[in-house]
Amino acid sequence: MAMAAFIFNGRWKWPAAMAVAGLMAASAQAASLTVKVSDAAGNPLADAVIYALPRAGTHIAARTPRPVAIEQKDREFVPWVSVVQVGTTVNFPNRDPLMHHVYSFSPAKSFEIKLYSGEAPRTILFDKPGTVTLGCNIHDWMIGYIQVVETPHFAKTGSDGRAPIGDLAAGEYALHLWHPTQRAAADAKPVKLDARSHVELDFSLDVAPRKKPFKPPLDGVRYK
Amino acid sequence: MNFSFASLRTRIVVFFAALLVLVQGLAFLVVNTANYQIAKETIVQELGVGERIFLRLLDQQRDQLEQSAGLLAAEFGFRQAVASHDTATILSALTNHGARASASVMLLISLDQKLVLADTLHPTQREQPFRFSHLTRAAEANGKASGIVTIDGRLYQLVVAPVNAPTTIAWVGVGFTIDDNTAGDLKKLTALDVSFLSRYKDEPWRVHASTLPENIRGGLVPAVGRGAGGGTIDLNLDDQEYEARLAMIEQQGDTQIIAVLQRSLAEGIEPFKRVSSAFLVLALLAFVVSVIGSVLIARNITRPINTLADVARRIQDGDYGQTVEVEQKDEIGALAASFNHMLAGIASREKENLRLAFEDHLTGLPNRAMFHDRLVQALLLAKRAAQPVGVMMLDLDRFKYVNDTLGHPVGDMVLKEVALRLRTLLRESDTVARLGGDEFAILLPSGEPERTSIVAHKVLHSLESPIVVQGQPIDIGTSIGIVYYPEHGEDANMLMRHADIAMYAAKRAKSGFATYDMRLEEDRQDHLTLLGELRRAIDQDELVLFYQPKFNLTKNAVTGMEALIRWQHPTRGSVSPADFIPFAEQTGNIRMITRWVIDAAIAQCGAWQASGHALKISINISARDLLDKELVPYVAAKLREYQVPPGLICAELTESALMEDPEHARETLAQLHELGIKLSMDDYGTGYSSLAYIKDLSLDELKIDRAFVSGMHDDAQSAAIVHSTIELGHRLGMIVVAEGVETSLELSALKRFGCDYAQGYHVCRPMAAVDVMAWLRTEKAAGNTSDA
Repeated sequence: MAMAAFIFNGRWKWPAAMAVAGLMAASAQAASLTVKVSDAAGNPLADAVIYALPRAGTHIAARTPRPVAIEQKDREFVPWVSVVQVGTTVNFPNRDPLMHHVYSFSPAKSFEIKLYSGEAPRTILFDKPGTVTLGCNIHDWMIGYIQVVETPHFAKTGSDGRAPIGDLAAGEYALHLWHPTQRAAADAKPVKLDARSHVELDFSLDVAPRKKPFKPPLDGVRYK
Repeated sequence: MNFSFASLRTRIVVFFAALLVLVQGLAFLVVNTANYQIAKETIVQELGVGERIFLRLLDQQRDQLEQSAGLLAAEFGFRQAVASHDTATILSALTNHGARASASVMLLISLDQKLVLADTLHPTQREQPFRFSHLTRAAEANGKASGIVTIDGRLYQLVVAPVNAPTTIAWVGVGFTIDDNTAGDLKKLTALDVSFLSRYKDEPWRVHASTLPENIRGGLVPAVGRGAGGGTIDLNLDDQEYEARLAMIEQQGDTQIIAVLQRSLAEGIEPFKRVSSAFLVLALLAFVVSVIGSVLIARNITRPINTLADVARRIQDGDYGQTVEVEQKDEIGALAASFNHMLAGIASREKENLRLAFEDHLTGLPNRAMFHDRLVQALLLAKRAAQPVGVMMLDLDRFKYVNDTLGHPVGDMVLKEVALRLRTLLRESDTVARLGGDEFAILLPSGEPERTSIVAHKVLHSLESPIVVQGQPIDIGTSIGIVYYPEHGEDANMLMRHADIAMYAAKRAKSGFATYDMRLEEDRQDHLTLLGELRRAIDQDELVLFYQPKFNLTKNAVTGMEALIRWQHPTRGSVSPADFIPFAEQTGNIRMITRWVIDAAIAQCGAWQASGHALKISINISARDLLDKELVPYVAAKLREYQVPPGLICAELTESALMEDPEHARETLAQLHELGIKLSMDDYGTGYSSLAYIKDLSLDELKIDRAFVSGMHDDAQSAAIVHSTIELGHRLGMIVVAEGVETSLELSALKRFGCDYAQGYHVCRPMAAVDVMAWLRTEKAAGNTSDA
C-alpha cells in the first residue's frame, strides 16, 4: 500500500525513496483504505482527489510535508491536479523553452511568479487549505489545480479510478472527495478505521467532462 | 405684321406652341407621377438596403463590443482586481477599464450569475439580482454574449464575458449606451432615420433614442404600435410622410426592442423634385425657343408666300414683268421657281395667243382680224390726211385642185411660197394678210390708183412663174379684186365686201384683176339669187335639156346627140349653163343637177329608141360628180328603168375634171366603163393630161377643143394639132369628135383629116327634144344626112 503513495507522488527519485522508507517503519499498526471513484456513468474517474480528515478524537501524527514540484511542460501544468498538505512548498520548474508567468488568484493562495524560464525564482508555500487554481498569464489555456488539504492522508485517483491511502491511524475520519470539474461538491463520508483494517470505498461523482481549451501550436501560431 | 388667327403664321405658331404645351404638360404629369412612384419604390428599396446595413452594423458593433469586453475581461490587472474581492477595488477597476472600452456601464456578476457584485451605475448597491442571466448563460456556452437591454429606462448594448483566473471566477457585463448619438452614427451610415423603441408586454412603446427631433418622436409610438412585426409601413409624423421599416432587434421574455428605420418621403422625392424643376425650366425654355422658332419658320414660309401672293395679284392685273425673288432652296423656293416658270409660261402663252389671234399660223402673215385692225387704223389716218387707201383681195386659181390632187402639205407649201412672194413685193408700211384658205389681202395705206395698179400687176407677174414644190412645178394663177377708200366704201367692212365682189368679177372675167364697180355688185346679186332659185328650178321643171347633134363624118349621118342643159327662167328667160353651173359646182348643187340630167337624158334616149331612133346621147359629167359613189348605181338604175342599152349613153368629162382627182376619176370611169357606158374626154387640149394617163382611162372618145378647131384655117399649127390629135386618137382606138365646127371649110378639113364626128353651129345648134325628130326628118329629106 505504500507503493500507492509512492506511485501517487512518484516523480521524485531520491527524496521520495527516503519518505517511503519512513512510512514503512511507522505503519506496522496502520489501517489503510482504497477509494474507487467513478463518474455518473460508472466509468472510473481519474484525477479525483481524495483525502481523509481525522474527526475529533482521532489523533494523527503530525508530519512535515515535503516540497512538491509542479512542472510547466509543453505549455501545460503537469500534473494537472495536485494535492498537497497545508504547509507544503511547491516549486514550479519551467521545462519549456519559453517563459511562463504562473499566477493564482485563489483565496487559498494568491501568488504570482512573473515571467521566468528554467527553475522558478522562488517556491510558494501553500499555507491555507483550499483549492488553488493555477494559471499562466501569457498562456490562457494553461490551467492547473492544487488541492491544499489539512491532512497528510490524501491520494489522487489514477486512470483506473482507484486511490489508496495507507498508514492511517485507527480512528474516525471524514473522507472528502474533490475533482476540478465536479458539478457539485460531494459530501464528506465518515469512515471508521480499525487498526490494520483495510477498507474499500466506492465513490461516485458527477463531473463535467474536462474541456481542454484550445492550445495553439507553436509553429505557425494561429489565433482566432 | 398681321397677327389675326386667320394668318398662316399665327396658326403655325399657336399650333406648335399649343402642341408643345400639351405634350410637355402630359410629359410633366407622367414624369411627376412616375417620379413619385419611383421615389416611393426607391425609398422602399433604400429602406430594405438600409435595414440590412443597419443590422449588419449592429452585428459589427456587437462584435466589436464583445471583443473589447473580452479583452477587458482577460486583462491581468482587471482579473487581479476582481480576484481581490475588494468591492472598492473592483468598482474602481470596473470604472477604469470601462472607460478604456468607452463603456457606459460595467457590472460584475457572480459566478452563479445571480448577483450583481459591483455596478458602476449604482456603486453603493450591494449584490442586486442580475436580470440578464440569459446573457451569462449564453456566454457560458459561447465564451461571450450580448444583447440589448434596458437599464433604468435607458437602452444598452450589454456584453457579458467571463473573467477567467484562469477558470471563470465571475462574469463581467460591459454596457454601451444606445442613445441619440448611436442613432445618429447609424443614420450617417444608413441614410435613414433611426429610432430605438422598447416595450414590456403590452405596455406602450417607449422611445429610447432617435435621430428624429424630440418633438415628433412621440408620434412614433401610436404609429408603430399597430404595425410592429416587420415590413414596410407608412408613417405620418408631424404631417410629414415617411416610409418605415420595423426591425426587431431584441426579444427577450416580455421585452421587445425594435429599431424603426424611416425615410422621409419628401426627402426621397427631393431629387425628383429637382428633376421636375429642371424639367419645368427646360419646358419653359423649349416653349420660348419653339415659339421663336415657329415664328421664324412661319415667317420664312409666309414671307415668300406673301411675295408670291403679291406677284400673283400683279399677274392678275396683267403685269408679267415681275418675277418672284425667293432665294430659298426648300419647297418654298421650288414653289417660287415653279411660279416663275408658270409666269414665264403664261407670259409666253399670252404672247403666243396674241400672235395666234392676229397672225396666220401657216404663213406668219397677219390674219383677217389683224388685217381688219390695220385697215381700220389706216382708214382713220387716211380720213384725216384725206388720202386714198388701196385694198386688194386675191385668191389663187386652181388652188383647190392643188390641195385635192397633191395633198394639203403641198398646198400649205404653196401658200407659204405665195405669202413670201407677196411679202417681198410690198413696202414695209403695207400689209399683206392671209384671210383664210387661199384668200389673201393687201392693204396699201398710201394707195393711189396708179401705185395700186402697179402692185396688182406685180402680184400677177410674180405668181405667174410656177411654184416648185418637191421638184414639181405647180402653176398658180390669181384673181385680184381692188377697192379704194373712200371711193368704194367708207368703212373696212364695206371695203372688204366690195373687194371680194371685185375679185370674183376678175375671176369670172379671167382678167387677172378687176376694180370694184357698182355693176359687179348687181351681177353678184344675180348669182346669189340664181343659186337660191336653182333648187326651185329643179323642183319646178324649169330645167330642160337641149340636144346638139353629133355629125358622123364618115357615114354622113347624125348618130348621136350631146345633151346640154338650159334653165328656162320664168323671168330671165333662158339662162346659160356658164352662168349657173360653176356656182352649182361651188355650192354642191351640181350633184342634184347631174342626176336630173342623167334621168332626163336616159329617159329621152329610151323614148327615141322606142320610136325607132337609136341615138347615142352624151351627158356632161362634172369633176365633182366623180366623187359621188352613188353615181354609177344611179346610172345603172336609170338604164334599167328606161330600158336603154348602156352603149347608147356616153359620159363626157372635161380634161380638167379628170385631172382634178385622177384617182377617183379613174375609179368611177372604170365602173362606168364596166357598165357599158361610153366615155368621152371633153375639151381635149386645154389641160395638161398626159397621153399615158388618157390611155389608162379606157376612153372611147376624144373631143378636140373648139379653140383648135376654130383656129384651123388661120393657123397652120392649130390645124396640125387637130390633124395629129385625130391621128393620135385613132391610134389609141378612140373616136375623135371636133367641137365648135362653124364653117364648111372647117368641116371639109376635118373630113380630110379623118375626123369621125363634127359638132357645132355649122352642123346644128342645140335644140329642144321635141324639135329633134322634125330636124332629123328635114335633114334627111334635104340629103344633108343619111341614116346611120
